Amino acid sequence: MPRSKARAAARPKALSAALTLPLLAGCEGAQSALAPAGEDAAVLATLFWVMLSGAVVLFLAMNGLFFYLTRIRVQAQSETVARWLIVGGGIVLPFVVISALLVWGLSILPDHRQAGDGLRIRVTGEQWWWRVEYWPEGATEPVISANEIRLPAGQRTELILDSAHVIHSFWIPALGGKMDMFPGRETFLSLRPTQPGTYRGQCAEFCGASHAWMAFEAHVMAPEAFDDWLAAQAGPAQTALSDAARRGAGIFTREGCGACHTIRGTEHIGVVGPDLTRVGSRTTLGAGRLGVSLDAYRAWITHTGDLKPEVEMPAYDHLSEAEATDLAQYLRGLE
Amino acid sequence: MNDESNTSDRPREDEDRHAFAAEAHSLWRITFAPTVWALHFVLCYGLVSLSCAKELIPIATVQAVLTALSLLALAIIAWLGFRSLRQWRVLVTGQLEHPEGTPESRHRFLGHAAFLLSVISAIGVIFVSMPLILIGGCQ
Ligand code: HEC
Ligand SMILES: [Cu+2]
Repeated sequence: MPRSKARAAARPKALSAALTLPLLAGCEGAQSALAPAGEDAAVLATLFWVMLSGAVVLFLAMNGLFFYLTRIRVQAQSETVARWLIVGGGIVLPFVVISALLVWGLSILPDHRQAGDGLRIRVTGEQWWWRVEYWPEGATEPVISANEIRLPAGQRTELILDSAHVIHSFWIPALGGKMDMFPGRETFLSLRPTQPGTYRGQCAEFCGASHAWMAFEAHVMAPEAFDDWLAAQAGPAQTALSDAARRGAGIFTREGCGACHTIRGTEHIGVVGPDLTRVGSRTTLGAGRLGVSLDAYRAWITHTGDLKPEVEMPAYDHLSEAEATDLAQYLRGLE
Repeated sequence: MNDESNTSDRPREDEDRHAFAAEAHSLWRITFAPTVWALHFVLCYGLVSLSCAKELIPIATVQAVLTALSLLALAIIAWLGFRSLRQWRVLVTGQLEHPEGTPESRHRFLGHAAFLLSVISAIGVIFVSMPLILIGGCQ
């Protein structure tokens, strides 16, 4: 092969490799439906791969046929061939393929409402965060949390979904399909994660200015670890505070944060924003917006609206650096 | 439905007139199969919502009634399809097309169209019935 030709042939190859590598890497990660970590997502991933392979085969066959009839066998075809092509390829084949996909699709459709093993989690979509209640089997009152979902591995958990103002959609791609959340109507989702790990969930229905910042982390834990965690989540906030944290608690009271936030065991019982009783035990801040460093806490408190447009929490940019740090120390310590 | 609406001055021959009136009937007939499909569709959705949303009828009853209705709908469509196949006469003549524009060719064409519509209606009824068997509840 002449050099120039070889190079010309190598170029598209290099190009397609360069294009597909990042695409393949995109299949992995904490928020990929193609890297399933649970029973429900596995079913959907299989469905996807089967449909993708089928689509590729059909695409190649159609284009191959087109190529064959326009470049290789250009003469007129007999009417019989044309008729078989139309009836076989245009009616029978689509009917069989669509029927098979319909049967398969319908047979897995009820799965998202399978009964769970006991634990129920109630999630309400808010502007732009997630209100979360854990109802273990037999519980008479919930363990309240926010912006984070924890699930026991190997067990089926029922999620009851609701919304406060507008339609949101609850989706943890690595664990299962998405389910819309409607104001005034409950929807259900049942998930059985199998692999412990941290996955990402994202609101999947446009819900306003900060829709893209409405995310959360889903932690799948070994069942014993989950039980311990849930037991620790219940009950009042911790009271053993460092000096900085004690000053921070004072600022929290002084600034009136408790009008919107609850910290169990204190006088703060607001319900407009997320429950902060154990905010320090979460792995993100502001529904997946930030990490949980001291800087992140300070940034959240003083630049809330810059970080999350139209957020329903005022920015406390009048606080001094020292005050913001004390407040951050206090909240971060609420584990 | 008669040929008086035809504004042509040329007086029709009796035979032609007759053939046209007969065709008016097969024009109606091609709508029968899709109508059965439409009724089946409405009954399925209506009864299931009465059961699952309003909880007026037990779902098992709805399932049994709708399964029977689906079989009935399919039987009617099969009968309509069989009749239109005979009207098309394709099995006798081997002719798929009707280029002549004679009353006979019009007659066969309407049979052809009615037959294809019966096939599509049968597929519609089957697809709409499938959730009855595969989902089998109010999930
Ligand atoms: C007007 C009500 C309101 C007030 C007052 C308020 N917040 Fe908030 N806060 C919210 C809302 C709403 C959110 C959720 C925002 C979002 O993520 O979209 C929030 C989120 C937070 C979060 C993140 C919680 C999480 O789960 O990630 C922290 C921390 C927080 N607020 C601290 C404070 C502090 C400290 C103050 C007082 C200086 C304060 N808030 C005052 C409404 C309020
Ligand atoms: Cu949303």
